[in-house]
Amino acid sequence: MKSKWRAGLFAVSLGLAGILTGCSSDEWSTSESKPKGEQVSLDIFQFKVEFKDQFEEVAKAYEKEHENVKINITTVGGGEDYGAALRSKFASGNEPAIYNIGGPQDVEDWKDKLADLSDTAAADVALEGTLDGVTVDGEVLGLPYNQEGYGFIYNKNVFAEAGIDPASIVDYASLETAVKELDSKKGELGLEAVFALPGKEKWVTGLHLSNTFLAPEFDNNVLKAFSAKEVEFQYGEAFKKILDLQNDYSVQPTVSLDYSQQVEELFSLQKVAIIQQGNWVYGSIASIDEEFAQNGIGILPIPVEGYEGDRIPVGIPMYWGVNSNADEAVVKEAKEFLDWLYTSETGKETVVSDFNFIPAYEGYDSTKIADPLSKDVYEYSEKGKTIGWTFMGYPTGWGENELGVEIQRYLSDEASWDDVINTTKKVWGSSR
Amino acid sequence: MRKQDLTYWLFLMPVLAALVLVVIAPLLLGVYYSFTDWNGIQTKGFVGFDHYKALFQDKRFLDSLWFTIKFSIVSIILINLIGLSLALLVTAKLKTNKALRTIFFMPNLIGGLILGFIWQFIFTKAFAGFGSLVGIESLKGWLSTPNTGFWGLVILMSWQMSGYIMVIYIAYLEGVSSELIEAAEIDGANAFQRFRHIVFPLVAPAFTVSMFLTLSNTFKLYDQNLSLTGGGPYNSTQMVAMEIFNTAFGRYEMAYGQAKAVIFFIIVAVIALLQVYLSKKREVEM
Repeated sequence: MKSKWRAGLFAVSLGLAGILTGCSSDEWSTSESKPKGEQVSLDIFQFKVEFKDQFEEVAKAYEKEHENVKINITTVGGGEDYGAALRSKFASGNEPAIYNIGGPQDVEDWKDKLADLSDTAAADVALEGTLDGVTVDGEVLGLPYNQEGYGFIYNKNVFAEAGIDPASIVDYASLETAVKELDSKKGELGLEAVFALPGKEKWVTGLHLSNTFLAPEFDNNVLKAFSAKEVEFQYGEAFKKILDLQNDYSVQPTVSLDYSQQVEELFSLQKVAIIQQGNWVYGSIASIDEEFAQNGIGILPIPVEGYEGDRIPVGIPMYWGVNSNADEAVVKEAKEFLDWLYTSETGKETVVSDFNFIPAYEGYDSTKIADPLSKDVYEYSEKGKTIGWTFMGYPTGWGENELGVEIQRYLSDEASWDDVINTTKKVWGSSR
Repeated sequence: MRKQDLTYWLFLMPVLAALVLVVIAPLLLGVYYSFTDWNGIQTKGFVGFDHYKALFQDKRFLDSLWFTIKFSIVSIILINLIGLSLALLVTAKLKTNKALRTIFFMPNLIGGLILGFIWQFIFTKAFAGFGSLVGIESLKGWLSTPNTGFWGLVILMSWQMSGYIMVIYIAYLEGVSSELIEAAEIDGANAFQRFRHIVFPLVAPAFTVSMFLTLSNTFKLYDQNLSLTGGGPYNSTQMVAMEIFNTAFGRYEMAYGQAKAVIFFIIVAVIALLQVYLSKKREVEM
């Protein structure tokens, strides 16, 4: 009996000791940091997996400069669904201070939880037009991450070997000639096919490709797409032609071809000459063939017949939003952090050289952009040869779950092109 | 007696609390949400039975339900057949019994997502390679048509679950007393007759367990579906669980997805209860 009591007492005293030490260490840390102002912790919930490590580095550097700020970064993205994760994060009550929003639909959904950022320095220097999608009643609710662009990424070596000048491709007809030329020399060039069309990736067909042909209809303005009650498919025929061209000269079967097959297996190993992708594939290609990624690739425009033939779609993939529910001090620190990231000299340097971002702000030295795809995209955007990103203004899920799916049906010969257009038109109308 | 009652409930408390917290409360909350227009962030108001009315007109939901039912029926039959055959094989007097059991059980230890990716590779690469080697065209382009997608899923599921079901059958097969079999043998029953009239009825309880397990597993399948076909091509291999997920998290129609989930729950519950009831009844009669 006695020994039991003793054990109990021991346990209790251990517990007490734990609590006491807990208290004392708490006191210790606050008293230490007090002179430097109040400790603020910034929870960042972001989606870009590609620059996770570099971003964490930068955050550490920032913490060193600003000792009262503690930054916690959570990254959910890549194959995972960021939007879903963000919702669960908010639902759990553990709300982040800084998070990402995509476009007008996100802005509308999260409006009550987004702080006005128009007083930040970064908002002042954001490139013209980049804030359109996130400005509501004069309030700027997001700051652009970076610019991204896509088009037909081509293999320079193969083009040179086949004697095709990429600069000559400025419209559909010249693209078609080049593709036929490549196809006829497939054997000697060591190609499996000219294209690799990833029909399985509904975002490639349903969002990116479709955007090229729908953006002109909406004057390249995402807000216009967002408020459009109907979609016309004004350039539907041109859309079909490009899709057919990619499909007919692609590695088959296209419906089950996925991103990694397209980019890593087929393009990086130089089994196909052209893929429809964006500057983000640089990393994947470089991890397989550094030499090829550095010197062998470039971007060609996606020609829209009847509109312009020499433009590539460039846009802002994501914005930073600051949670307006957070404490005032946290909101202030969050703004300061974003300003520092995009407008301070150290910040600018990292954005371009470490993140490999194509900056969406003024005052950057463009020659520092390291990878060739980003450089190409930046050049197109400097010349104003761009098409806007309007797919963020599509009805939620319309691009992938409706149009992407219908395109799969079309690629499997289960639906005609008219069916694709009619079905998706109807869904757009009913969801607006 | 009273006092005992109190202690009884006290001891039950932890489990009861956990059950209410993680099963019953979310279930009720889910039913509640299905009557609202919740979008995952906020609820704007009640919509009554609108979602339930809409989902019976929803072609995509009904298609996925039909696909799930087809898939479940075919897989349940195949898994049980293969499982039973494997069990008979490894309970026969073979030298490699132990090793075989381990090997057959192994697929079940691999996670569904990884299995999906492995089989995706087999179907799209190995099948195509073998097909072009021996000249069988039908082995090419697997998973790119609804049919091959369907059979791909069935093959994957049978491969994974048969080993597990085999273990259950083994347990029952080893419980069959050898006296009965010897007696039948002396009476002149051949191998098939012995199986049909002696072993089979005695193993019947195993069917109840196995059917229940395979049914609930195939009906609620998600991860294998996601990693093998992703519902493609054109949503033709999308199962209910995935369809619900896409409604809720793809289009952010949380409440509508919730309504589908409630219907799905009712269907699974009814089938499962019915099936257990019927199988139990049959067992008693024998």
